Amino acid sequence: MSAGAPVETNRTAAGDRTRRARLAILLLAILLLATMLLSLASGASGASALVILRDLFGQADAEALRDRIIIYDIRLPRLLLGALVGAALAVSGAVMQGLFRNPLADPGLVGVSSGASLGAVAMIVLGPTMFGSFNATLGPLALPVMAFLGGLITTFVLYQVATRQGRTSVATMLLAGIALGALAMAVTGVMIFIADDRQLRDLTFWSLGSLAGATWSKIYVVGPIILASLAISPFLARGLNALALGEPTAHHMGIPVQKLKYAAIVSVAAAVGAAVAVSGGIGFVGIVVAHMLRLAIGPDNRYLLPASALLGASLLLLADAIARTIVAPAELPIGIVTALAGAPFFLWILLRKRGLLDL
Amino acid sequence: MIRLDDVSVAIGKRTILGGVTFEAAPRGLTVIVGPNGSGKTTLMKAMSGEMAYGGSITMNGYEVSKAESARQALMRAVLPQATALSFPFTVREIVNLGVLSGRSGVRGGFGFDLVEQALAAVDLQGFSGRFYQELSGGEQQRVQLARVLCQVWEPVLDGQPRYLFLDEPVSSLDIKHQLAIMETARGFADRGGGVIAILHDLNLAAMYADNIIVLARGRMVAAGSPRQVIRDSVIATAFECNLGVGKTPSGGAPFVLPQSFSP
Repeated sequence: MSAGAPVETNRTAAGDRTRRARLAILLLAILLLATMLLSLASGASGASALVILRDLFGQADAEALRDRIIIYDIRLPRLLLGALVGAALAVSGAVMQGLFRNPLADPGLVGVSSGASLGAVAMIVLGPTMFGSFNATLGPLALPVMAFLGGLITTFVLYQVATRQGRTSVATMLLAGIALGALAMAVTGVMIFIADDRQLRDLTFWSLGSLAGATWSKIYVVGPIILASLAISPFLARGLNALALGEPTAHHMGIPVQKLKYAAIVSVAAAVGAAVAVSGGIGFVGIVVAHMLRLAIGPDNRYLLPASALLGASLLLLADAIARTIVAPAELPIGIVTALAGAPFFLWILLRKRGLLDL
Repeated sequence: MIRLDDVSVAIGKRTILGGVTFEAAPRGLTVIVGPNGSGKTTLMKAMSGEMAYGGSITMNGYEVSKAESARQALMRAVLPQATALSFPFTVREIVNLGVLSGRSGVRGGFGFDLVEQALAAVDLQGFSGRFYQELSGGEQQRVQLARVLCQVWEPVLDGQPRYLFLDEPVSSLDIKHQLAIMETARGFADRGGGVIAILHDLNLAAMYADNIIVLARGRMVAAGSPRQVIRDSVIATAFECNLGVGKTPSGGAPFVLPQSFSP
């Protein structure tokens, strides 16, 4: 352009947070590794993670054998499931906030969570009578599958309601999501009303959230779904960045906006449906992680999304480690831990950084 | 070349724009003027592929309604009247979105920083580290223009002209920056690109436009060079306002025209 002589610039130009973001991603990856090791080493039983080392050196006495079962069949699947769920919830939260251009959006808003809950509750209460054969065929997977379907169906209905002439209205979707969520909650309430005592107890534990039921078979079911959704997220990043300037501007900048919305909604619905299906209602991860990161590295989704996956996984593993050890040998539902730790922390961030969050 | 042939836009059953036919050539600066609600922004939305239209709009031979967003983004950049921002981006990050959204056409050498160049072009040197939300309205408008410029930095790419669509680019700017932005737009056209701008200031239009399109009540009421269009009769018809072109205030009251600007 005819702006005269080239402008002198430093090597790290002002306002450029990419280096900080890359460093943060590196540190978060290290944090995740550390929390994984911690998670492997801690638990109700005294099993030592050193068993893995001992395995490598071929010493297998009886105690080592017991420890190996605890490590490989209990802690390892739980660790992987926790990391997957944490990453899924955090990335979904970040994607929803970008899509709805609203820092308060979380996966709960598009009805996935409430729909998934309804599916799970229906399975617990009506399962034995109404879905007998379904129950028998799928066994312990019946509940997660129903929850996943519940989440997906709710999201699909919402998408249809909000889409007119090929364009999805984000505002309509937000409002319809609140209405549909309330409806799902009401039906869930009816289920709770007709549930018997044992079912009630199952319901309560499921809704508080827990990773206690982690098995390898659950990982084989939800792992691919969550990993696929995480793998899509880098391709959404550029579009979500442009969307921060509004839908018309995103279109001006060459983003196929309708396709972007569709891909984002489907991937969030799948990931959150899968996460809720295996872990119940784990709150706050979806909304807090992206916020913390945005304050630290800025809102650029190219870095925000991978950083959210890493931090979400780490935080959930930490919360699970606390849930498992704080009242050992009993175990606190993880949803209580994330809410007890997440809510005050979130408030504290809001109070400190109010200026930056104001729009 | 941009060609509009009998373009119309309807919302529901109501036609809000009809019978618009003109050509905007590269190296030309086309200004659209007209009263509020005359369809200027609607026309620009149709041209930028945001609204369905009747008739035909072609840009370098591509029908706009059939071209993908990404192809359109390589041929033209759009400055909307207002841009809402939903997250705390820095000025550099906003402008960089423009760099990443099209093909600037610039081969950056060592130390070359397109973002700084673009900020300099809108007189915002040293602003790259500031938060967008902390800027004044006029500064925000110039940041957006810098972003738009980065998307089509080279006015000609692969032998094809590129275009700037500017919807009231100077509406919240002081007189110095109004002139600076119009000079930047003029420069873009002089180097082979095309500019289509919506303006309210008839003096700026007369000063910078090669062609002026006058819209009123969704129709084209006049088109041509400033000399052909800026006439008492056209202004009276389009704006329903009796004004005298070239008439100076009586009694020595001060007035100042952008045309008196000396760089």
